[in-house]
Amino acid sequence: MLASREIRRAPVRFGLLAGAIGLLMFLVFFQQTLLSSLLNSFTGALQNQSGTVLVYSSEARDNLEASVLSPDIVGKVASVPGVGQAAPLGAATMTVLAKGQQIDVAMIGAEPGKPGQPTKLTSGRPATAPGQGVASSETKSFAIGDTVTTAAGGSPVTIVGLTAQSQFNVQPTLFVTFDTFTSMRKAANPNAKMVWPSAVAVIPATGVRPKALADSIDAAVPQVTALTRTEAVAGAPGVSSTQGSFAVLLTLAVVVVALVTGFFFLILTVQKTAALTLLRAVGAPASYLVRGLLQQVVLVLGVALLVAVGLLVTATAAVNTGLPLTIDPRALAISTVVVVGLSLLGVAFAVWRVLRIDPFQAVGRPGLGGIE
Amino acid sequence: MGHHREAALKLENVRKVYRSGDAETVAVDRASLEVGPAEIVALVGPSGSGKTTLLSISGGLLSPSQGRVVVAGDEISGYDPKRLTRFRRESVGFVFQSVNLVPFLTARENLLVVTDFSRRDKKKSKARADQLLTELRLEERADNLPRQLSGGERQRVAVGRAFMNQPDLVLIDEPTSALDTKLGEQVMELIVTEVRARGTAAVIVTHDMRMTHFADRTLAIVDGILGDAATS
Amino acid sequence: MKLALLELRRRPWRFAPAVIALVLLTGLLLTLGGLLDGLYNGFTGALRAQPGALLTYASDANLSVIRSRIDAATTAQVERVPGVEQVGGLGTVLLGAKIPGQATEASVALFGYQRAPGGVPAPPDKAGQVYADTSLKAYGVQEGQTLLLGPQRYPVSIVGWVSDTNFLLQGGLWGGLDTWRQVLGSARPDQVLASGTYQVLTVSTTAGADPAWVAGAIDAATGGRTQTVTRSFAVDSLPGITQQRSTFNAIIDTTFFVAALVVALFFVLLTIERVGIYAVFKAVGASSGQLFAQVVLQAVMIAVVSFMVGALLALTVGRLIPPQVPLQFSASRALQVAVGLVVMSTLGSAVSLRRVVRIDPATAIS
Repeated sequence: MLASREIRRAPVRFGLLAGAIGLLMFLVFFQQTLLSSLLNSFTGALQNQSGTVLVYSSEARDNLEASVLSPDIVGKVASVPGVGQAAPLGAATMTVLAKGQQIDVAMIGAEPGKPGQPTKLTSGRPATAPGQGVASSETKSFAIGDTVTTAAGGSPVTIVGLTAQSQFNVQPTLFVTFDTFTSMRKAANPNAKMVWPSAVAVIPATGVRPKALADSIDAAVPQVTALTRTEAVAGAPGVSSTQGSFAVLLTLAVVVVALVTGFFFLILTVQKTAALTLLRAVGAPASYLVRGLLQQVVLVLGVALLVAVGLLVTATAAVNTGLPLTIDPRALAISTVVVVGLSLLGVAFAVWRVLRIDPFQAVGRPGLGGIE
Repeated sequence: MGHHREAALKLENVRKVYRSGDAETVAVDRASLEVGPAEIVALVGPSGSGKTTLLSISGGLLSPSQGRVVVAGDEISGYDPKRLTRFRRESVGFVFQSVNLVPFLTARENLLVVTDFSRRDKKKSKARADQLLTELRLEERADNLPRQLSGGERQRVAVGRAFMNQPDLVLIDEPTSALDTKLGEQVMELIVTEVRARGTAAVIVTHDMRMTHFADRTLAIVDGILGDAATS
Repeated sequence: MKLALLELRRRPWRFAPAVIALVLLTGLLLTLGGLLDGLYNGFTGALRAQPGALLTYASDANLSVIRSRIDAATTAQVERVPGVEQVGGLGTVLLGAKIPGQATEASVALFGYQRAPGGVPAPPDKAGQVYADTSLKAYGVQEGQTLLLGPQRYPVSIVGWVSDTNFLLQGGLWGGLDTWRQVLGSARPDQVLASGTYQVLTVSTTAGADPAWVAGAIDAATGGRTQTVTRSFAVDSLPGITQQRSTFNAIIDTTFFVAALVVALFFVLLTIERVGIYAVFKAVGASSGQLFAQVVLQAVMIAVVSFMVGALLALTVGRLIPPQVPLQFSASRALQVAVGLVVMSTLGSAVSLRRVVRIDPATAIS
């Protein structure tokens, strides 16, 4: 095949092109992976807990950690019609000692059997009594049977279950009972007069939709903001700014991929014009030339893709991002389709150039070589 | 450069052999030639006769496999590529068959390219370029790009470029192959006028017998071997 | 007459693919750099400004300002350690601020301080008065306004501006220790601290004392109840700082490498087209070095022009981004990107060197 022979004879050119495109694809994939891992690390715990409506204090700006509700407000929320189950939810970052090391964890306290408990466990069982806890397992800091105490002392918590994809604010999460939460907070700050919950986790009564319930709670209790779980996840602090920043970065990277692929295949085609014209003049159909070009494009993009995926796997293992990077195959597939699709669009111009070649130009050309 | 009393070009038993695998091609076979300090010599032969190879060797573009090449007293046959580059910069001028002007430079700038690569005085070079343009009747076209010039005008710029570095020897490859008879005659007249005016020597390679009367002497070359044709 | 520059001027469209790609890559680099700097400054401003070489935390707080507690007795112990010149208490609380006339609340970090940080005046005379970080202007805050903080809407009034004092991406508000305690009591009754208890201590060392040694001495004197570190260590220990730096730098370095590859590819293709001209140049006496110098010159010019256009692009993008996205452009980062781009461009052009050297002047005549 003429197309692959040309590549074999000019490895530097095509190597550089595949390398550049591969690196750019890697940038897109890596940033995509970073984005989805980051978003999940911010809000995974929220997504995994059972309350489909979350009620925060209204000055908390949709921020669970900034929210604090007095017990009478919790009562008011619980008595709004349409509420199936309601329970206080405590959220706080604490320093704990695990395996002899001090690490920061997001502690989430919920009453056993009530909304706020993690819904999906990877192993073990939920926390049913004080002194038990379920940990998110990404950072491998916790295993079933481990004992965890706050750095300030206080009663220990035994890990009875593990869950995944449940980090909060880019920290490992520990799901405990609300009583355990309260006692750990008191142990950390003996000056505190009381421990108030951060939010109320609510499951609507049968037949009531979460959005409708959230609106009624908002109307009935003015000091709170009620969000559906989806809204809470989307509105959590850091989510929209992260998405905004990455949107800019990803857009720029994807546009560069398309441009580089398109431009450089165009240049390669223009440089071959003499040879291509000759081929047309001796009877090669236009479709043959276009097919050759597309074969090269597919080959180059294929190599680039391999480079990109290889680098992605290396980078997710090697770079210290502080959060567990999980490659999301679905997002990766979508990114690949977008990148390859745009690259092919870029190449369209080169294809048009090939189709435009007029075989008559082979005759009367002042010589294939020379400058003018 | 001043006039040297010695020959502008001396070839002694020059031989050029190309090897590809086991096969050997002899492009030039023991050619000997002497060109006087202000002499014009025409080299005539069919394509493949080795005349272009001989021209390249004379101008320091190729090194011979065997033999001596002496240009205006410099024995260049043993020069390394770097020294050959300096030699070409200072001592010879070329007029190429396919004109080879830089497409994005004006006529004047195409002349100045030659002195750009040397450490010559910029003002003097510019004055020299303008003078050449006048002699070649190109003053009006000095600021035109090659695509704005006619075929004959482009050829004249190429001729001017060959003289920019005040060479001892000018080597001209098929100057009329792309031009009709009338234009070809005009260009040859111009070349001869310039060569005579500066007392430079010239070797002109051509397959066009109609142009040989411009030269002082014509030599034939066939299959790499130089012979004498009738002198003019 | 410089050949390289003439070609750039007379045939600019020839260089469009490389320039356009580099413009976008510059935009990417400046945006990445701007995000990294914005995140860093927004997270660490308050700590970087603190006076003194050391910061003392409670040892069970894992270097978290918010979870650290230092009582009056410990503070007294710290003050007595040899090598300690001055000690100041610092406390903070993170909450939302309602701004008059604005629908959205701003996230703020209210600090109570004894010793003024760099760029911040001495604590305001009256309780309830604070200085505000200039970043809050983007949220509509004005001098003289009264902000309502926390769920109980505790009022504080803005009496002046300070800059680069944000903490954990929340706008810095700076008031006396009384103001801080009152706001804490109002907004977070479950986190109040006894009078005389601070969260961290800022410690200045006497002239000639080694800060690292003094830090160790402090922690020994308190029986291990404190953890004292240098200010820069404390800054780097803020959540996410080192990880942001390594992640962003990995992406930035990759992007620079892409720029080098794009330039390399471009000049390889350009050199192929120029083989004819270069052979002629060599025939009339140009050396490979002279020709290659032209290539490098063009690579540098392309990098410079692309950087300038790319910088405009980045500034435009920056203007369109909402204030919640911590994007900060700085001259030093811009200079870094410019220099990096020129270096990468030069390296990329070097890939064509062998090709230029291999061009045989004899081909001009055949």
